[in-house]
Amino acid sequence: MNAAWQVIERFLRNSPRTRALMKRLGIDPVQYWLLVDLFGTLSDRRELPGHLGHTDMSLDKASWLFYFLSGIMAFFFAIAGMPLVVYFLVFMLVSGFLLLTTLLSETNNSLINPVEGLVLAHQPINGATYTSAKLTHILRILLHLVPALNLIPAFAALLISAPWYYPLLQLAAGFAVGIVMALFCCALFGWLIRFVPPARLKSVGFAAEMSSWLMYVMMQFTPNLHLKVRVSHWLPSGTAARVAIASACVVIAFAAVIFGLRALSGDYLARVSAIARGGSGRKYRARRSYLGETVACLFGGPSVRAGFDYVWRMMTRDWQFRRQMVGLIPITAMLIGGGWQGARISPFSGKFTMMHVLPHAFGFAFFMVCSALPYGPDRKGAWLFLLAPTGAFRGFARGVFARLLSAMLAPQVVLLPFLAWSWGLRDAALFLAYSAAVSAVYLALELRLVEGMPFTRQQESMGNPETMIILFAGGLVVSIAVALQYFLIFRTVILVVAVTAVLAVAAWLIARSSLESFEISIRFHLGLLSNESKGIYTEVNG
Amino acid sequence: MTEPIIAFDRVVFSYDSVEVLHQISFTLERGEIVGLLGPNGAGKSTTIKIIAGILTPGEGSVSVAGLPLPERAVDVKQRIGYVPENAMLFESLTGQEFLELSGRLHGVEEETLQMRIREMLETFGLSSDRSSRLDTYSKGMRQKILLAAALLHNPELILLDEPLSGLDVNAAIMIKDLIAALAAGGRTILYSSHVLDVVEKICSRALIIHQGSLIADGTLDSLRASTGRESLEDVFRTLTHSANVEPGVNRIVTALGS
Repeated sequence: MNAAWQVIERFLRNSPRTRALMKRLGIDPVQYWLLVDLFGTLSDRRELPGHLGHTDMSLDKASWLFYFLSGIMAFFFAIAGMPLVVYFLVFMLVSGFLLLTTLLSETNNSLINPVEGLVLAHQPINGATYTSAKLTHILRILLHLVPALNLIPAFAALLISAPWYYPLLQLAAGFAVGIVMALFCCALFGWLIRFVPPARLKSVGFAAEMSSWLMYVMMQFTPNLHLKVRVSHWLPSGTAARVAIASACVVIAFAAVIFGLRALSGDYLARVSAIARGGSGRKYRARRSYLGETVACLFGGPSVRAGFDYVWRMMTRDWQFRRQMVGLIPITAMLIGGGWQGARISPFSGKFTMMHVLPHAFGFAFFMVCSALPYGPDRKGAWLFLLAPTGAFRGFARGVFARLLSAMLAPQVVLLPFLAWSWGLRDAALFLAYSAAVSAVYLALELRLVEGMPFTRQQESMGNPETMIILFAGGLVVSIAVALQYFLIFRTVILVVAVTAVLAVAAWLIARSSLESFEISIRFHLGLLSNESKGIYTEVNG
Repeated sequence: MTEPIIAFDRVVFSYDSVEVLHQISFTLERGEIVGLLGPNGAGKSTTIKIIAGILTPGEGSVSVAGLPLPERAVDVKQRIGYVPENAMLFESLTGQEFLELSGRLHGVEEETLQMRIREMLETFGLSSDRSSRLDTYSKGMRQKILLAAALLHNPELILLDEPLSGLDVNAAIMIKDLIAALAAGGRTILYSSHVLDVVEKICSRALIIHQGSLIADGTLDSLRASTGRESLEDVFRTLTHSANVEPGVNRIVTALGS
């Protein structure tokens, strides 16, 4: 796909007709290609965290993953002899959802980028030129992902007696779906940039990015919504009236997209650069934290309190971190859904419910938290830690751990009265004690993923292969652990008590060892920073 | 009488609901070097960003070289050179690449651009670092790159927001002389700074903004005469009512001793 893109790009760059067309659309061709090259270079050099890369390290990985998944799906559907129409609709639905999810994130990262805004806002670039250069990035993603999602299924359909032209049809339909999704995403962010005050733009962009997952969650909770709402009941019965309504909807949607795209071409750069000045606009009241005081008192004083407060404030306010936690939404939704059903049946009843997965789900959620914790956009603030006395880092590391542990245990404490009401106090308390011990073991192990001082490192590219391997291996281990838990442990109360005690001791021992590693990793990372800063501030003029 | 290069007429600007500029009006003539002074948060950088077409005023009108803002923002940006207060750069580009990008976006001919980049990097002592990424540059080196980028396209109006920040003594002296030479060549310079000595040396006129209002506009001599003070620092302290700092100093010393 790279080669195809390069051929198209070379043709477009050299074609006088393209230049004339661009000028007619208000796009400066010279600046357009300069910006396309600039975004490519910045992406190559990893200056655009969260983007699917231009040289396609990450885009390639995402594409191969989609090829793999769509291939497996196509294989099973073909074997099952799925009707062609259903087969086609399923792949269009899957393509639409995955493209919407990917493009919402990409559009948010691309269009709401205050750093770019700050550097380029005073350059003589008109909105149309800048926006079209940005949209080229979205188009490139479509050129990669649409074939990845549809190529194998399109040809696999020939195995279920599809006509010879079916592959072309599915690919064309896939691109049409992709273009509709891309237009929708760009229009959505156009509206947001136009109407949302700059100070709120980042938060609203983040919420928009989550919207596809929220739709997914809503569908999980209301699978038969279309039957309940009975849309046909509200529509007029005559065909002509229905056609008129449908036409009106299409016209409104078209107008909305056009307005959204035009909104991007106005004073877009200025509005986006204003995000940096605006901040969130929110004021944080200084409140006395009794929990912080208790933790500081129990575990070693002000440095513990520093780690305890710092990590929580950054976790709740750092937009890059919060954006990475979007992936937790489906897990949370599944947990709530599963928990709702499982809350009625005690895990000691001998029946398998989703509650058996709960402790491990906490482990998985904090795997994501710990993986994202080292990175942050405010990494330049790390100089503060360079001035801290070396002895402070032990307490600081304990403070960070204490905060993560309290965040992990808090929902389990909240669950206690509800589960006690449903299962009885003994079962609920024992299950939650077991769950707390298991999740504490997970957290103690996962603390080793936090390499260096939290929120002080530049975001690495997406799709780290090591993370993928850990995820797959972890999934296997968790499956075995859940099976052991269900078939062996939750058969007798005594065994659960014993295992809980063993796990609690194990969590304590592992946490001690992990805290040492964490402290060393903080010092090592700050040492690197220190050397780096020496290099940076060496004057060359002498 | 020639048209002023900047006409700022009863400009009001707000961040969210907080009004930070209240009905500010002033004009700048071609070839002037004007100091823009004020305490932190007074609205100096906001004023400069409005002139640069980055921010749009809520009320009032602004024009640069007769071009109204924000309607002709792209044309205005073509005519100005801007050194922002915070050195925001694309960190992964090299010094040479960043300057090329800036010059090409302004439509500078390639041959002229390369010649200017060469001369500027040579003059600023950055020739040997032209191929290093900007994230390896010191603060002073980054400031020099920003200055070079602002001048590459030979702008009519130069907006400098704390341009000497992080520069060594030699570079600072050179920039001061350069500013004087550019003004002698007909360019207009709006120079925002907290370093009043520098403003006193290079500017012929000063605008003082305090809490979003323009409290003084005049030549340095007229400001001295109207306040009855000798140095610009004393003039500034008198106008911004910051003459008596002793109670604040005492409070901090007391707090440190407790």
